[in-house]
This record gives sequence, structure tokens and C-alpha cells, in this order.
Amino acid sequence: MNKTVPSWRLAARIARRDLRGGFKAFRLFLICLALGVAAIAAIGSVREGINAGLQREGAAMLGGQAEMSFTYRFASDVERAWMAQNATSASEIVDFRSMVVAGVGDTSRRALTQVKAVDDLYPLVGAVKLAPNMPLALALAAKNGRPGAVLDGALINRLNLKVGDVFTLGLQEFYLAAALIFEPDAAAGGISLGPRSIVLTKDLADAGLLAPGTLFTSKYRLALPPDVDLAEIEAKAMDAFRDTGLGWHDARRASPGLERFVSRLSAFLVLVGLAGLAVGGVGVSSAVRAYLAQKTATIAVLRTLGATRGLVFQIYALQILLLGLIGLAIGLVVGGGLPMVFGPIITATLPFPIEITIFPSALAEAGLYGFLTAVLFALWPLAKTENIQPAALFRAAFGTVDGLPRRLYLLITAALTAALIGTAATLSPVPTLTLYAAGGIMAAILVLVLVAAGLRALAHRLGRSRALRGFPALRLAVSAVGGPQEEARAVILSLGLGLTVLATVGQIDSNLRDAIARDLPKVAPSYFYIDIQNNQLDGFLNRLQNDPTVSKVQIAPMLRGLITRINGQVPDGEHWVFNGDRGLTYSDLPPENTVITKGAWWPAGYAGPPQISFAAEEAAEMGLNLGDTLTVNILGRDINATITSFREVDFSTAGIGFVMAMNPGALAGAPHTSIATVYADTAGEAAIERDLAALFPNITAIRVRDAIERVTGILSAMASAIAYGAGVTLVTGFVVLIGAAAATENARVYEAAILKTLGATRLRILASFALRSVILGTAAGIVALFSGSLATWALLRFVMEVDFTLNWAVSLGIVMAGVLVTLLAGMFFAWRPLATNPAQILRARD
Amino acid sequence: MNTPILSLKQVSLTLKGNAGAIKILRDISLDIKAGSTLGLVGPSGSGKSSLLMVMGGLEPATSGQVRALGHDLGAMNEDELAIFRRDNMGVIFQSFHLIPTMTILENVATPLELRGEKDAFDRAAAELATVGLQQRLHHYPSQLSGGEQQRAALARALAPRPRLLLADEPTGNLDQANGDAVIDLLFSLSQKTGATVVMVTHSRELAARCDTTVRLRDGRISAA
Repeated sequence: MNKTVPSWRLAARIARRDLRGGFKAFRLFLICLALGVAAIAAIGSVREGINAGLQREGAAMLGGQAEMSFTYRFASDVERAWMAQNATSASEIVDFRSMVVAGVGDTSRRALTQVKAVDDLYPLVGAVKLAPNMPLALALAAKNGRPGAVLDGALINRLNLKVGDVFTLGLQEFYLAAALIFEPDAAAGGISLGPRSIVLTKDLADAGLLAPGTLFTSKYRLALPPDVDLAEIEAKAMDAFRDTGLGWHDARRASPGLERFVSRLSAFLVLVGLAGLAVGGVGVSSAVRAYLAQKTATIAVLRTLGATRGLVFQIYALQILLLGLIGLAIGLVVGGGLPMVFGPIITATLPFPIEITIFPSALAEAGLYGFLTAVLFALWPLAKTENIQPAALFRAAFGTVDGLPRRLYLLITAALTAALIGTAATLSPVPTLTLYAAGGIMAAILVLVLVAAGLRALAHRLGRSRALRGFPALRLAVSAVGGPQEEARAVILSLGLGLTVLATVGQIDSNLRDAIARDLPKVAPSYFYIDIQNNQLDGFLNRLQNDPTVSKVQIAPMLRGLITRINGQVPDGEHWVFNGDRGLTYSDLPPENTVITKGAWWPAGYAGPPQISFAAEEAAEMGLNLGDTLTVNILGRDINATITSFREVDFSTAGIGFVMAMNPGALAGAPHTSIATVYADTAGEAAIERDLAALFPNITAIRVRDAIERVTGILSAMASAIAYGAGVTLVTGFVVLIGAAAATENARVYEAAILKTLGATRLRILASFALRSVILGTAAGIVALFSGSLATWALLRFVMEVDFTLNWAVSLGIVMAGVLVTLLAGMFFAWRPLATNPAQILRARD
Repeated sequence: MNTPILSLKQVSLTLKGNAGAIKILRDISLDIKAGSTLGLVGPSGSGKSSLLMVMGGLEPATSGQVRALGHDLGAMNEDELAIFRRDNMGVIFQSFHLIPTMTILENVATPLELRGEKDAFDRAAAELATVGLQQRLHHYPSQLSGGEQQRAALARALAPRPRLLLADEPTGNLDQANGDAVIDLLFSLSQKTGATVVMVTHSRELAARCDTTVRLRDGRISAA
């Protein structure tokens, strides 16, 4: 026995020679892999670009290098002294909701606004743009005894104002000096219900809007000395003022809310992208299978000449690895390049900064997903080359290799699947959802494989049954579906998965819209009123009590507080309850319809140490127990209260709901206002709003319907983004479909030649091809309908806690789309079979 | 040395098809002497090619024993059979079965490379010269005539100096002139190397050139 050559070198030599046949067979492989990788690379690049933009522009977005904020109050002297000592300058802003009123009496118009009251230093970073163009200081300067204000264009339109007109905020008149075109720190403020208005803080002195207990936030934007370490100064500030209710933001994370939003949205998009990659994987598998089918003779010869199974595997694994790397490279170039090509459009469209450049981490992530997917989906057909017997050279067995691969390959497949899912979960900001989604995709693939196998078996039997005799076109179509070729599986898998993703996205969108825009208004109040002073409660209720259009009024005292400690420890964790101050209330008795799930409400008249009743679901998420102590900072004062009960709080009805309720004694003397929800008929809403605004100019009315519209608009934009992502999945599915149709074209040419020889007209042959496509497309569409609906139900039920209703329009649309797309692909590849001369084909076969 | 180079004892082969099990070979017992030539003849479908495949370990027998060069082929796994063929056998097919993406030089060198021979390409070139294809070394099979392809296939089969050469209708796809040329080469080269030849053929003349002829009918060795 001669010395053995290292087999990888020999395999590489033979692989190289074998590839001289060209890459044509790998076109589908390359396209599918490149599409999936490109989608994820593009999503990741945009996500990283936004994060980089937020970091780069952090100071401008925040309006300073750092921000100290307080709820319900201005900074104390001690706090101001600290700022003077540690910052080179500090600009004070007061942020609150109010009502802009234009006109008087019956012709008055009102609109909700988010007021930003500023000082002379604003903005510390960046510049405000106005129309007509002028410095902000000039716009806010008094004219004819009235202070100036700038309003967002949407507000101006809503109130039918023009520059120079007069309007009121609270009790103070202002004149409209200019429209607000650009606000440098807008993005850091998050989503607001009312458009922006800007005034000078000193001009609100007589407006009656900043009374004690009114809900406002004061923010101090700081310019810091050069080379100051933001982490250090944050630690210093928190050490000094954690227990006074300080909120701290700095340029490292100017807008955590926006970051979370971008992170969540891109996580969803990556999940959709992974579904697209799974569809691409189906294409990869089909392409590898088809390629190896062409190589059966070569493989059989090599085995006859003495090549071991392992060597054969190595030869073709190297080829597929090389092509895989090419596909990955194409995908990364396209995916990384797309944001750069569309950079100007993206930059102009997004309301926050984005950096357009190449992000290696995003490309690495996409490359890793692509590599794992390619290996996973190529492994099975590659492993089955071991089953090719040399005797295949003598039998008509080309293209079909039966049996499962060896157990080793099944184990490797399982390991690769776990690696792919594990990687996705590790890199995702929502790992649990990712795990479920990945599991769902795997389950969908399994179901589709089983359906394809079942359909094939059924078609195989049906094709031979008496029932189809006399219907030759249908019998031919059914027999073809049940035949030995892999077309049925490729079509159902690729199209079915793409349609499933689309069906899921479409159904989630329609269900959420229905929940918010259709169902919510039935249970939601007409108005939320905030900042009702204690001495205004009676007047407020008087106006509403005898109004026949009002069905219900709920009132509750409200304060806002920041949870600073749990059991004496600073809370760590990202739960939303810790993100900023939370509303809390007090009550002697449990409010109407309160359901205590654990513990007990304090007795009536209780005057002991502070107690808290906490929302049960949030408490469970935060790991709180009865007996835990929460330190809540309200107006700079710490209140240590013990949790003595948990209760159900349903936020989905848009009514009054508080995470924390305390006994009245705990909050005795704390300045506060009340909030109210008013349930009224549409006919009475305008009069209610007008009368209450006239009686109590300081009270802010939030029209819930407007808020619902705003939220629906945001959801629509998100749904559109996700739908585009799902579209990529569908495009990949279509490519695989085309590949499957192309792969069977020669077989159809041969089939058509024989049929023509036997006397079939072209119309009958075309009908057979069309029916074949309809059968496969319908099967794919129906599976997508069921699996998409199931996925939607699971997501809505367990993640969003919304009821599920099957949207028949979306569902039937999906099925029809499946049929149409398969039909189009099938008909496109029917021309050559119909046009070819039978004699030419049959002679070539002899 | 009277030990046969190839010995079959009650070998049967049954294949599973769509229409059920098909008995291809039934109780074949046969001994082949080393250095001899054996012709397998019989009508179409009598199992000649299948018997050749069983002899070469290309198809496992359903029952019975096949011993080649003292080794029980039935006791070997797939890879052991491949290595055994690599080291001891050459196979020629009716349809040549040259690898289309390799030149004929590379085709002939492949079995030598599989054995780890460092001078694989030199030996391959020499072998191709022996069959008269020294001018076509770097041509692909598609660029050769049928006769030239079969000569290249013959070179590939003989290059490793196999002790056993299996030929399945080597002239089946060739015209008379080419077929005669290939057969002459086959016999002369195998005599030179001392290889034992088992050949499936429809041709009486070719069968007559073999030392022994075995006739198959319906999967059995027939007397007539």
C-alpha cells in the first residue's frame, strides 16, 4: 500500500477539476444565500448606523453633555450649587402638557401641546430653526406687551393660526412669532401626544400652569468642562442626589427610549430576516441537491475507482464551501452597500441621526448567520452522497438517493441548528422572543416538509386511481406532483415559509389595529384630564354630573415618584417601572373593581407606616414579594413603604391605572393634583371640552381618540417596515420557486415531447402544467394560512396579550398569492416544453 | 497455485423495484483462475452485468459468498470495498464513464492519486501513450471520439496494474473497427500485466477469444 496523501489536499485537487463544469448549477444557491445575508446585513447596518448617530449626536440630541431632571419641582439651591460647581453652564427647561386655546367663546379652538419653557441659554447645543427665519431669542421676545411663542406647524394648522395671531396657554396670552421647523433636542424627548410649543419660562409666571402639584418636569442641560468623564460625573451626581429623585441622562445615551425602540424594531426585523434566510436555506438545499444529482455519475465513477465515502464528501463539501463563501461575500457587499446607496433618502426620512458607513460588527453578524445556514442546509444532501452506490452507474437511479444520512450527520445537523438558534438568541435584545420565533420557524419547516411528503404520497395514489381517468390533464398534473422529483417539496417549503411570514405580519398588523383603533375606543374614555387642582374638583364634577351625554367619570389623586431603592438596594435591571418616574395614587378604600390577588388592603382610616399596593403583573416581573420595602422619591423626599398587597391592573382599557397605590397618610401634605377620565357620547364631547377649558384654563385635556390615532400611525409605520422585511422573505421564496421550476424544465420538455407524440394538444399540456402549479401553490398557501394564524395567535396571546381574530381578507389573500405566484413561475417555464420539436428531443435521448 | 483469483459460491442477487422484488442472479457458483480470461455471455436481461458488478463488489450479493484474491467481499464495508477495488481491480464500462470535467490525463491519474502515488501523472501519461493517446493528454472526454474515450477508459483501468480487470461490454458503443482495436489492446495489455479478465459481451467472436465462457440465462449459469 502506497503512502496516503492527506485527503483534504487530494479532495481539493479533485474538487477543483470537477468545478470546471462551471458554476451555472450554483446560481440558485448563490442568489438565495446572498439575498438572506444581504437583508440581515442591511438591517444590522442601519441599526448600528442609528446607534452610532445617537452616540455621535448625543450631546446635540440631549441639548447638552448631561441632563439632570426632577419631577414636580425645580432644582433646589443645593442642586443648583452642585451644577454651578461641576458644569461650565446649565440651561433650565420645563417640560409639561397643556392646552393651547385660540379664539374666544363658541369659536375658540383648543389643542393639546407639549410645552417646552426655556431660559435664555437654550439651546446649549445646536440651533432651533424657525419660519420665518429668526433667532429664537427674538421670536420669544415680548411685543406689544405680549410674550412671543413658537409652535409646531401641526399645531398652527390645527388651530388655524398665522404668524402674529394671539393664543393662550393657561391664563397667559402669547403671540405666535414663528413656526417651529427644527428642534435640536426633539428626539431625546421621545414620543409625545401633543405637538411642541416653546415659550420663555419667565413668561409663564402668571399662567397658572406651574402651581405646586402640577405635573411638570424640570430639566437642567449641562455643558461640562473638557475631558470630563461622564461615568464619573454621573456617579458623583447620583451619590449626592439619588435620594432627592434625580434623573440623569448624558450624551452616552441621549435617548434610551429611542435606543430601545430601535433595538426592538431591528430585533423584529432580524427575526424576519432569519425567516428569509431559512427560506434561502431551502433554496441552498434544493440547489445542492440538484447539483449533486448531476454529479451522481461522477461520484459513482470515483467510488468505483476507489474513492472512499469520506473523500467524496470532502470533495463536494469543499466545492460547496467555496461557493458558500462567494455567496456570503456577495450578500455582505450588497447588504453593507445598500444603506450607503440609499443613505441620502434614509437620512432625510429618519427623525433622528444616523451614520452611514460600513459597520464590521453588523456584517460579521450577518456573515455568521449566513455561514451557519448554508452549512446547515447543505449538509443533508451532501451527507447523502455517501449513499450513492457505484451500481448507480448501471441503474436509472440518477437524481434520487434514498435513505437518511448517517447518525453522525444527524447529530451535526442538530448541533448546527442549536448553534444558529443560540447565536440569534445571544445577539438579540429580546432573547426569549427570538428563541420562540426560531422554534416557530423550525416547526413551520417541519410542518411544511411533512405536508409536502403527504401531498406527494396522496398525489402518487390519486394519480393511479380510477377517479381521474378521463381527465388526462388533471391526472398528469397529479402524477407529476406525486412523482420522484423534488419539485413539490421545494415549492411548498420555500413559498410556504415566505407566505407564512407574510401572513403572520399581516395578521398581527390587522389584529393590533383592530385592538387599538376598533376595540379600544369602545372601552376607552373620551378624555383624560390632568392637573386638576384640589380646589377645582367640585366645579369639575358639577359640570359633568348632570350632563346626559356623560356615562361615567373617574377621578383619582396623582403624584409622580421615582423608585430609588428596593429593600434598601439600588434597583438593577431594565424593567420599564424603573425608567423614570411613575404615577402613583392614594386611597383609603380600594377603588371600584379592585381585585386583590395577594395580601390585603389597609383598613379604612389606617394611619400607620406607609404601605403600598403594587400591580401584580409588574411585581411578578420585577420579583417583588409581600413585605418588600420600596423607597419612592416624591418631590425630593424619600418615602419608605412596605408592599402589603398585589392587585390586578389592566392598562389595556386606556383608563386610570396605577402601578403603585399608597395609604392616604403616606402622602399627607404632598402637593398634588388629580386626574380624571370622562366617558361621554361623541355628541357631547366638544361642549364638555369647551366648558371645562373656559372654567379651568390650567387643566389639560387629552382626547383619547387623538392619542389612539397617533399610536396607530406609529404602529402602521412599524408594520410597514416589518412588511418590507417580510417582502424580502417572499422574494427569496420566489427565487427558490423559480429555481425549482427551472430545475424541472428539462423533464417537462421530455414529458411534452412524449405527450405530443401520443397526440396531446399544446393546450392540454399547458393545462396539465397549470394544474400542477395550482395544486402546489394552493397547498403552500393553505399551510401558510394555518401556520401564520397559529404564529399570530401565539404572539398576540402570550407576548402582546391581545385577543386574536382571524382576518379572512388577509388569509385568503395569502392563499391566492401562493397560487398566483406558483402559476406565474410554472407558466414562465412552460414555453420551452410547448415550443420544442418532439423529434429533436426524443432523438437526443436515444 | 490452484487457488482461484475469484470464487463465487451460491451467489444470489435480488433487487427491490417499484413492481416488487426481482431476482437477478440465482445460486451462481463459479471459480475463475488467476491470469485467465472469462467471457460472460447470454441474452439481454440474463444478469451478466449484475454478475460482473457483484464480482467487483460494486453490488452486494443478497446471499452467497464472493471471494476475490482470498478476501470475502461480503465481509467488507463500503470503504473497504472501495480501497480493495483501488488496489486490485480495474473496471471498464460500456458507456466509458470518464469524468467529464477532467482531462483524460487527469482521469487516468485519478486511481493512482487515490493510492497516493507521487508519480501518478507520469504513469498516467505513459499508460495513455500505450493506448495511442499521447497526443490527446489534455483533452476532455467530450473532445474525443467513442473509440478514443474507451481507450482512455482502458488506460485508466489498467494504470494501477490491477490483478482483476472487469469489462462490461467494452465495445458495446463502438463501431467494428474501433471495437476490434480496443479489444486487441485489452487482451494484449492484460496479458502483459498478467491481469485476470472477466468480460461481459454479446459478441460470439469476442467470447471465443476468452479462455473460458460462461453462459447466463435468467440469472443462472446455463449449460448451453
